Amino acid sequence: MKKNEFLAKLKDELKKNNVADIDEIISEYEQHFAFKMADGYSEEEIAARLGDPLQLASQFESNIEYKTSGGKKIAAAIGLVFTDIFTGAFFILLVVWEIIMAAFAVSNLVIAACLFGRVNFITKFTPMPYLSAVVIGISAAALAVLSVVGCIYFALFIRQLMRAYGRFHRNTMAIASGGAVLPPLAIYPRLPAKVNRRLRSVALFAMVVFTTSFVLGMIISMLLSGSIEFWHTWGWFGYNAVN
Amino acid sequence: MNIQYKKGVLELCVLALLKKHDYYGYELSEYLSKHIDIADGTVYPILRKLKNEGLLTTYVQEDSGGPPRKYYSLTSLGREVYEKERAEYLDFAKKIEILLEDDNDEKE
Repeated sequence: MKKNEFLAKLKDELKKNNVADIDEIISEYEQHFAFKMADGYSEEEIAARLGDPLQLASQFESNIEYKTSGGKKIAAAIGLVFTDIFTGAFFILLVVWEIIMAAFAVSNLVIAACLFGRVNFITKFTPMPYLSAVVIGISAAALAVLSVVGCIYFALFIRQLMRAYGRFHRNTMAIASGGAVLPPLAIYPRLPAKVNRRLRSVALFAMVVFTTSFVLGMIISMLLSGSIEFWHTWGWFGYNAVN
Repeated sequence: MNIQYKKGVLELCVLALLKKHDYYGYELSEYLSKHIDIADGTVYPILRKLKNEGLLTTYVQEDSGGPPRKYYSLTSLGREVYEKERAEYLDFAKKIEILLEDDNDEKE
């Protein structure tokens, strides 16, 4: 079979199968002929090695599959709108929780700073001895670090969850309209091992510091005030100070 | 070897080659028909399918002293799909290997 015969057969068959962009496909095979002929092969030999044009044509995806009914598409779109509303509300909830966690982290940081700097703007608390303040301040700072790590993890999780949902959304429409379906995304974030290790050790360190300094702070406060319920002695929460 | 079987892994092979660097269609056809023993024309429908699925993009480049070449390049989606399918294939192949070698032992 000569080059022209091969290409004509292929073209006819592609047309019959309703394949899109036939000219592009033909030009690709023309290029194949050109390269092979430059290497010294005969047209017949090249055509034989390419394979049967009828069989090759059948391997190209037909365009017919892509023409699905509009009704299916509309049904999928309506379904997706409801799913989006539900999932959207869910995402708002998650984002709000992220904001709360961030606020918790910031307030812990502020508390630590106030304790270290002997700043006392809450009149319900009379100042405690500076040693207690420093130790409890350290625990507040550690708690701030811990919640920052939590915030980072949670933010990454929300982001990945949204991306996975976006992919699902796209795929559902693709199935309804006969388009290509992409692989689903994982719903949990995959961090580089190094980042993961670092975050974990920071979290672990912060947790240990928080626990020990918190317990230590309580004990020191009890010793300094001479009472287990030191907040009574120092007149916190509206109690009368016992001096 | 069964033709259908070869075609199944051919997509993965194309992705694996393109992960290293961009190729033009003829290069891929030559490489694969030499190593996997398939008809030269088989790779073009596969390239087209992968392009339709958004795993590949193409660009045309005119090299000195030759016809303009249509290069294929892996998209980030293609990379993602390749990594996933590669892991799945290797896992699958390992299991089959264990199964087939087990069979050998019992016959002896």
